[in-house]
Amino acid sequence: MFLYFLGKYFEGGENKMIKENFMNYKNKTNKEKNKVIFTCFMFVFVLFIIANITGTAQDNLFPITLIDDSGFKIVINEKPERIISAAPSNTEIIYTLNLEDKLVGRSDFCNYPDETKDIESIGKMSPLNLEKIISLNPDLVLSYGGFQLKDIPRLRDLGINVLVIRSDTIQEMIQGIGLIAHACGIPEKGEELISQINERINWISFQVMASSRQKPKVFVGSNFDSIWSPGNGTLFHELITLAGGENILGNQQGWVSISPELVAEREPDIILVPTGIMNPEEISKIKKDIMSHPGWSNIPAIKNNQIFAVNEDLFYRAGPRLVDGLELLYEIFNRKK
Amino acid sequence: MKYLTEKNNKYLYGYPNWKYKAFFVLVFGFIAILITGFIGLNFGTISIQPQKILSILWHHNTNDSLGIIIWELRIPRLIMAMLAGMTLAGVGGAFQGILRNPLADPYILGVSAGAALGACTGIALQYITGTYLTNILPIFALIGSFISMFLVYFFSKNKSHLPMTDLLLAGVAVNFFFSALITLLLAVSNRELHSMIFWLMGDLSNSSWQKISIIFLPVFAGSFLLIFSSLELNAMALGEEEALHLGIQTEKLRLRIFVIGSVMIAIVVSFTGLIGFVGLVIPHIARLIVGPDHRIMLPVSALIGAIFLILCDTIARTVLAPTEIPIGAITAIIGAPLFIHLLKRRNENNEY
Amino acid sequence: MNTKEPIITLKDISFSYEKTPLLQDINLSVFSGEFIGIIGPNGSGKTTLLKLISGVLEPQRGKILIFNKDITNIPRKKLAKIISVVPQESHVAYNYKAKEVVFMGRIPHITQWQGETLLDYQISQNAMKKTDSLCHAEKGIHQISGGEMQRIYIARALAQTPKILMLDEFASHLDLNYKYEMIKILRNTLQEDVKCIISVFHDLNLASFCADRLILLNKGKVEISGTPQEVINNNNLRKVYRSHAHIIQHPELAIPQVIM
Repeated sequence: MFLYFLGKYFEGGENKMIKENFMNYKNKTNKEKNKVIFTCFMFVFVLFIIANITGTAQDNLFPITLIDDSGFKIVINEKPERIISAAPSNTEIIYTLNLEDKLVGRSDFCNYPDETKDIESIGKMSPLNLEKIISLNPDLVLSYGGFQLKDIPRLRDLGINVLVIRSDTIQEMIQGIGLIAHACGIPEKGEELISQINERINWISFQVMASSRQKPKVFVGSNFDSIWSPGNGTLFHELITLAGGENILGNQQGWVSISPELVAEREPDIILVPTGIMNPEEISKIKKDIMSHPGWSNIPAIKNNQIFAVNEDLFYRAGPRLVDGLELLYEIFNRKK
Repeated sequence: MKYLTEKNNKYLYGYPNWKYKAFFVLVFGFIAILITGFIGLNFGTISIQPQKILSILWHHNTNDSLGIIIWELRIPRLIMAMLAGMTLAGVGGAFQGILRNPLADPYILGVSAGAALGACTGIALQYITGTYLTNILPIFALIGSFISMFLVYFFSKNKSHLPMTDLLLAGVAVNFFFSALITLLLAVSNRELHSMIFWLMGDLSNSSWQKISIIFLPVFAGSFLLIFSSLELNAMALGEEEALHLGIQTEKLRLRIFVIGSVMIAIVVSFTGLIGFVGLVIPHIARLIVGPDHRIMLPVSALIGAIFLILCDTIARTVLAPTEIPIGAITAIIGAPLFIHLLKRRNENNEY
Repeated sequence: MNTKEPIITLKDISFSYEKTPLLQDINLSVFSGEFIGIIGPNGSGKTTLLKLISGVLEPQRGKILIFNKDITNIPRKKLAKIISVVPQESHVAYNYKAKEVVFMGRIPHITQWQGETLLDYQISQNAMKKTDSLCHAEKGIHQISGGEMQRIYIARALAQTPKILMLDEFASHLDLNYKYEMIKILRNTLQEDVKCIISVFHDLNLASFCADRLILLNKGKVEISGTPQEVINNNNLRKVYRSHAHIIQHPELAIPQVIM
């Protein structure tokens, strides 16, 4: 209809007499006015319809049925407004998805970002403090599985939705983000976050593939007496490999306790020391301890002072900051000496 | 000198009419349990005022979160503690009677080691297969306890006899063997270690009405059966032969007490884990208060056991809140010094 | 009841413990009103014989008849109403009061449902009165000395109101005065409900004093059975005990006494 009027508008024009022009002019202004009013009306009408369509699309998301990482089928009837996170990894995902205003409880260990200290704590991660959780009246509880599995049936019996997010690989972590996003009714935000993460990972993968330099041998050590180091199947190992390094324990499964001799034998080029939040003096002390470790003097990492203290939270937590860890590793591996 | 005058008196030279005594004791004990239970209800991570608790109890309110905490978390837990305490102390007293040994405890005949091995195996399987088994761990524990009970019976049986020393020795041997297996399991476990140790030290945190409904009947039925054997247990204290001379069928009595007691313990322990010292110490306390006559001593022992465990559970939940201490640690911390104190008293008075 | 009929009969009893034969071919009868003493050296099977008659042990061969009924057909509880035993020594596991220990003698007569009656208490009290142990009634059994304990065990056996009373060395810890007292009490029971008494003796003089008839055991067999005069003589002593001793006559009573 608009086009009709538009056509009409272009039809009238310069071929008429002045009187006709005047009449036409008067008609034209009226027609123009009508056109403008009509187009505005149409515009608003269309917007209204679009808004309604998208609005109902939102409401049609719930109730939603999901299968979580423990194989349990949960049904979420309404969009969760009160969420408790029982693991630091899940807390970080919540914040990245901008759902923090719905967070009413978090575990003692949830320390990132800083704002978490303003959220009520539910105590240790295991055993779960059922009284505290119930008193906060949550719509959804996010667990990491593991030792919490034995407390979850009680919560479910009492009618509380518990979602288990268990991630042992980066891919599973990404799927976990998607699961949480769906459970909270914001699947598009989840998709957006996932594609951002994939982009960053893909960039690094591409760089690593394209690079022709030799992969540095990496050892994840500690300043403790007994050395536990991650092998194949751990997140840390996956990140090292993705970032273009070679884990000297790549042939071992899971977390292993190893002897210092093995480290000396494998001659790593880089030693990573995962730590908590430490000040520079503590870090330099750790480095000194490692450099003076008996029997390690011939290791390239020590000879070339390639010992790096890294924030352990970036490598142990199955959350979005794994990608930060990945990028940190890439940077360390490609440093110009 | 009351006893020299031969009055036609129910209280003949100090023989009380024990039925009245027993009734009074039971009523008093029941009230004591209710009071202790109410005290226990007042403690927890979330503080709830006593008036609110009373109102929630009176109106059976399960609508809001406080109501759920009281009715679904605290009350089942306290009832579980009561049932476990009753069973452990009652069976401990019965075993001390039948074995004529004040150092006997309900685990002496191998039940606990089997249950522990069963539960730890279940936990290990859970992590190996990745499937979630916590709901059926009690079944693992129960199967394990029946296996160990059967082994003890099998090793000590001699034709148709069930000699006492053989029973004790078989129990000790089975305990040792199964404990060794458990230690082996603990040594090769990594992540499961934490769960196993928690189970081994007793854990009431997963109490629920469903579990209570399973345990309730066996515990009460078993307790009644044990108390009915009180006279026979009294006779056993005189000696095996003397009991025979008094008409007690000692073999059958031993078997009966052993089976009933072990089954009760197996069922309770499958749900609560190993809670130690209750079965050993509480019967002694009961004996100190009301004497060794099993007709009174067994019910009193059960009552004191219930009260003791309710209090221990309350302590376990609150002392380091919000962290929970396994209840077995509390009973050991309180029980061991108490036991040593009782031993010293015994030596001084030359009692028992 | 025919007083000629024996109350207890043992026919061809043989008993071995594992492979060691303890008693062989024992034949014996006990009649109403008798106080039987069983004597013999250590290892001759005295206590074993007592255990067989009281039903604690089962013989490999032979029959035991109590009031003409085979002992294996009598349920244990019924047997306990007829036979009561005073042990030589006993350790009570828990510190029951003396009166409670005596009261346990009533257990065979108490049914679980009815519980005990006033009569049971009266019987227990009477038994303690007879053995002069009422003053110890409230004491814990672990605080009681050997002699008092023996009187309490006798009281318990009496409280059981048995027809047959069996004792194993009942006087070993008793003072002289109590020895006489107990023997008098035991004899008195024979006038009342107790039909016969069987006691094992180490002390030959006491056996001679108490018993109407003595049974001398030697290496598991009955050497001789008869009155004290018949049994306690030099021949038998030398043969069974392999020792030499003097036998004199008691100054007042016509019974033999042994002097080292």
